[in-house]
Order: sequence, then structure tokens, then C-alpha cells
Amino acid sequence: MSRFSLKGWSGKLLRVDLTAGTCTDEVLNEQWAKEYLGGRGLGTKYFTEEVAADVDPFSAENKLILAAGPLTGTYGAANGRYMVITKSPLTGTIASSNSGGYFPCELRYAGYDMVIFEGKAEYPSYLQIHNDKAQLVGAVHLWGKSTKETEDQILAEFHGDAKIACIGQAGENLVSFAAIINDKHRAAGRTGIGAVMGSKNLKAIAVRGTGGVKIADPVAYREAALDSYALLKANPVSGEGLPALGTPVLVNVINQMGALPTNNFQKDTFDGAEAISGEALASTYLKRNKGCMGCVIGCGRVTGLAGSRFDGDGEGPEYETLFSLGSACGVDDLAAITKANYICNEYGMDTITIGTTIACAMELAEKGLVTEEEIGMPLSFGDADAMVKLVEMAGKREGFGEKLAMGSYRMAESFGAPELSMSVKKLEFPAYDGRGIQGIGLNYATSNRGACHVRGYMISPEVLGLPEKLDPQATEDKAVWTKIFQDFTATVDSSGVCLFTTFAIGAPQFANFLTAATGAEFTEATIMEIGERIYNMERVFNLKAGVDPSQDTLPKRLLEEPISDGPLKGEVAKLGEMLPEYYQERGWSTEGIPTDERLQTLGLV
Amino acid sequence: MIKVQFYSLIRILLKQEKLELSACENENVGQLLQRLQRQIATPFLHKLLDKKGEPILGTIIMVNRRNIHHLEKLETPVADSDVVALFPPGAGG
Ligand code: SF4
Repeated sequence: MSRFSLKGWSGKLLRVDLTAGTCTDEVLNEQWAKEYLGGRGLGTKYFTEEVAADVDPFSAENKLILAAGPLTGTYGAANGRYMVITKSPLTGTIASSNSGGYFPCELRYAGYDMVIFEGKAEYPSYLQIHNDKAQLVGAVHLWGKSTKETEDQILAEFHGDAKIACIGQAGENLVSFAAIINDKHRAAGRTGIGAVMGSKNLKAIAVRGTGGVKIADPVAYREAALDSYALLKANPVSGEGLPALGTPVLVNVINQMGALPTNNFQKDTFDGAEAISGEALASTYLKRNKGCMGCVIGCGRVTGLAGSRFDGDGEGPEYETLFSLGSACGVDDLAAITKANYICNEYGMDTITIGTTIACAMELAEKGLVTEEEIGMPLSFGDADAMVKLVEMAGKREGFGEKLAMGSYRMAESFGAPELSMSVKKLEFPAYDGRGIQGIGLNYATSNRGACHVRGYMISPEVLGLPEKLDPQATEDKAVWTKIFQDFTATVDSSGVCLFTTFAIGAPQFANFLTAATGAEFTEATIMEIGERIYNMERVFNLKAGVDPSQDTLPKRLLEEPISDGPLKGEVAKLGEMLPEYYQERGWSTEGIPTDERLQTLGLV
Repeated sequence: MIKVQFYSLIRILLKQEKLELSACENENVGQLLQRLQRQIATPFLHKLLDKKGEPILGTIIMVNRRNIHHLEKLETPVADSDVVALFPPGAGG
């Protein structure tokens, strides 16, 4: 084995051949680590080098990579994040899904930056890592169990202090939007990575690590951490707003401005918004806030349903879930949404896709395109009980759940109305209407994993006014801003730090952190260049996978049907005004293909 | 009457969701906020405005559901039957 000379990274990955049942340590590729950092960037680099783009996501040839960043498990900001990379069964694009908590840090304390799963286990198995010892063990007794039950059982039989990431029944059942849940309540949620894990007969990864992260320059690191800590604490969003109200605070903001998608995007204001708002949650089911490891923000919501018509406790709902299982379905019952959120965490499902898929089914029913008999119950917007029931049926693939498990695009297509799926590249929209907020619409259309807000969170400048306020209805300059947000996010996702820190800290702070931690030199410019390299690498993979630029678009509803109500009534997404400029900004051809010249500059050819 | 809606930390701080007050002639948002603070015993304006009296980065103030940043900022006029919504900085994902 060659040596890995830098600090920050552990310098080691674990390769798990599920077919052969073997676990092998490998030295991390140092050159790639400098060029792609870790997490999303380095994981995708390994993935694209090792897996053909046309791979069937559920075949043994597809790989599943869990990747921490060089800052995961360190202190100073919110450094408890990791990414899961594979080819998505939902979108056919590169899938990379982010989550935080304690599990990602434990992986690093065991000495690994990354785990690569290849092949397929003959029978249900799970991976145990105890520092430098790794082995696959049988998981037949865990198959069919929820994520909570799985975690409890593994804690009892492996190690009481282990940190665990696992799938629930949805991943086992290959639900196309199944998630991987870590630390019981945190989800690497989007694009169906949990189904890929299920297809490999892999139930869980349990890690116990007692080491640490080696820092190249501890004095400089401490300075960088203190600087970031001060900025995060002084910033009203990260220092006060997010800890107090969490992400649900946006329900009222986005509803007031008239961009809260309601009834499957048929409306953009929701009469029930106040009832499902962050303020309502704070005065009812919220117990306290909670953070991922070492996080100075603590945006997590610990909740319990005592006193409501449902039972249970857990974490969530977040803003996205209040939209998807709430306004998108016309549901204003906060307890029902919270309950459905718990079910999603226990079955291991993406709350955004299941909610918006149910919303799509509600519109199919409203238009008479699916019958009560086919669904097995009457279904209409606003029906909270049906929504909760359908979430569970999707996790089990039971009855109409079989259709829901396909995701909204394939489900709507099977009823002859794919245009009713509110998605891009088959990934459903999050909680902001691109007709009312033009830049987020451009980001949805060009995001490398479909309609995702956290690929380029244009809501920050367009709605929140951070770092400066842009007019959400304007199209000018949105291409430039979207590209910057997308590139910077790719770097943040590759560092191990939470994207929410970027409300307060930027590229200079990330450069300081990474330089001090690793001993390699990072500048503001290299931070942005790394992000652009990652973005282009993902784009090239998608093109090879057959996801061509014609899919850089939005549903007809957003492009042609004006918003029907509220202050943004009459607005449509003006994608055509922004997309050519976006391609130009990226240095791509007018057809949206990265040019050889651009790829060469980025070191991609 | 002008209806003022309180959100997020301000609602928690003031323990009330809204307040109605009579309109004054030729009043703008900035003046309305100062008048509101004089009426309410609990200090809350510091959650919205900095020491110079400008909106803190991330503060959202809407008049009739439109962000005053794209109107006339704190000089946006307010009149009878207007609805003013006050959001201190917050964020989501
Ligand atoms: S800000 Fe929230 S999601 Fe991010 S690391 Fe902290 S607690 Fe986790």
C-alpha cells in the first residue's frame, strides 16, 4: 500500500465485497482527495471511475458509497455530515444524499473516510466496524424490522455505543425513494439510495470507533474554529432563528409570499399554513431542539404526539415535510403530518417524495384518472387520515402502495398523466414554487439529481436576503448566482460540514478550515474550483447515463400554467430566459454539453 | 385599522400573534414600527432592526404579502386595512 501523507483525512477506505463477503482496507487516493475533498466529491470520483454509467441501479454491478469529508468529526461549526453516493433507481442520475448526526463521525473515529459496497450479499447481512476490524454478519433476524428496531437490536448485540445507519422495510421492499436512516431520526433521504442498499441485501452499517481525527495545524485550526464559531453565533439565522424554530419557520414566510405549493401545485397559498407552521409546532408537539454531533446550531426538532389523536415520538417534521405531507396534500393536521413523518423515519422513506407522490395521487383522483377501487379508499385533498394510511402502505408496498412506491412520475405515467408529476428528472419538487422564485426554478431544472433545493439553495438570496436580497421574480443574474450556489454547495457537501453553516460562513472560512486540518493549501478560489469540478463530473456521468439536456426543464404546469392565487398570481417559470445564460456561465455548449476545453481546465479529461 | 402579524421569535417573545392599530396619515413602515414599539412594553424591535434602525440581514417585512425590500423599504407607506407581517431572520432547507 502507498502512503497517505496528508492529515484531516483518515487516509483509508473500506471496500466491502458483499458477494464474496470480504472487507479490505485501501489507502485513499491522495491526489483525488486534494481535487475532490471527500463526501460528495470524492465519493462520486470513486463511483464514476469504478461503475459504468449505464449500470442498472439494482444490479450487483452498482456500488453504494458512504463517504465522510475531511472535516467530518472535527469541531468548530457543524461538522457531523456524510454523503451516500450511488446510481439512483428513481432518477437514473448520479445519486448523492446527505445526512448528519453521530454515525458519520464514528466512521471517522474508526479510521475510515469512506466505505465502498460492491456486489450483492446472498442473504440479509450487516456490516460491523469496530475500529480497524470490519466484518459482515447475518441480518436475517433484522429483515422486516423498522429502523428503530434495527438500531436497538444492533446496539444490544454488537456494541452499546455503536452508531448505526440502516434501512427500514421501504429499502428492503425497493421503494424507489427509500432512505438510509442514521441515529434513528436522520435521513440520507432523497433519490432512493435506501432501495439500492436493500437490493444488495445490506440492512445496516454499525460502527464503533475510539480514535480521532488528526489535524495538520492544531493552532491554526483552533483559530479557524473560533472564527467560525463567533460568526455562527453572531448571525441571527444560525445563532438564533434556526435553533429556536428550526426549518419549519419557513411555512409562514413562504405562504405569505405566495410560493407555498398547495394541492399538488394547483395553488400557492394554503389556508391551513398557520396550523402547520413552525410557530404552531413550537406551541404543541415540540419538546426541544437537537444538533448533529458538535453542531453549534442545533436545528433538529425533538417532538412527541402526547395529547393528540396519534401516538409516538421522534424527530421532525422539518419544513420540507410540512409542505410535502401538509400543504401539497392540502392537509392542515399537524399531528397527522408528524405521525406520517415518524412512519417515514421508521420505514426509511424520503418524506418529500412520498408526500408529493400522495399529492399527485390526490390530483389523479380529483380528475377521475384513478378510481376509489384502485386506491382502496376515497382520496381527496385535505384527507389527513388517508395520507397517513398511504404513507404506511407505500413503505409496505401494500395495495395502492405498490403504485406510490414508484414515485410520482412513474405512478402518474401509469395512469396516463405524467404531466401531473411535479418533478424534474423524476425527482419531486421541494417546498418552493419555481414560478414565484425564478432562480430556484433554474436550479431545479439544472440540478444533477433532479428537483432538489439543496443543490443550489437560491431561496437564500431570493427570499431570505442572504447574503443579499435578490428579486425573486427577476431573471437577470440568476444564472450566475445559481452556478455559484451550486458549485459552493458541492464543496460544502464534500467537506463534512453542514450546508446550514453557509448562512454565516463562506468560502474563506472553509479554506481556512481545510488548510489547517489537512496541511494542503486551499484558497477561496480553489474552494470554488473544486465545487465546479464536482458539478461537471456529475453532469458528465448523467450525460453518459442517458440523462440528456432536454431534461433540464420543468413540468408544463410551471412553465405554462400561471400561479392561480395569492400575491404571485399570474407568474410562470421563465426558464427559457435563464437557461442559455446558465449554460454559457458554466462554459458548456449552447446544447448544455460541457466542452472539452472546460473539462480540461477542471482536470476532468 | 392596520393589522400587524408577528411571527417566529417575535411571536414567542410577545406571546401574541397579531395586533390591530389605527392608521395614521402619511405613515411609513419605519414609523409604524416605532409607534408599535412605543405601544408594546416588551422590547422587540431589536429582533428586526440593527442599531442604525435598518433591517437586520435576513429580516423579512411584508406589506400586503409583498416584501418591502422590493417596495420602498422602511419608507413603504402603510394605510388603513393594510396587513404588515414581521419575520425576524430565519431559514429552512
Ligand atoms: S444545522 Fe441542523 S442539520 Fe446541520 S449539523 Fe446542525 S443540527 Fe445537523
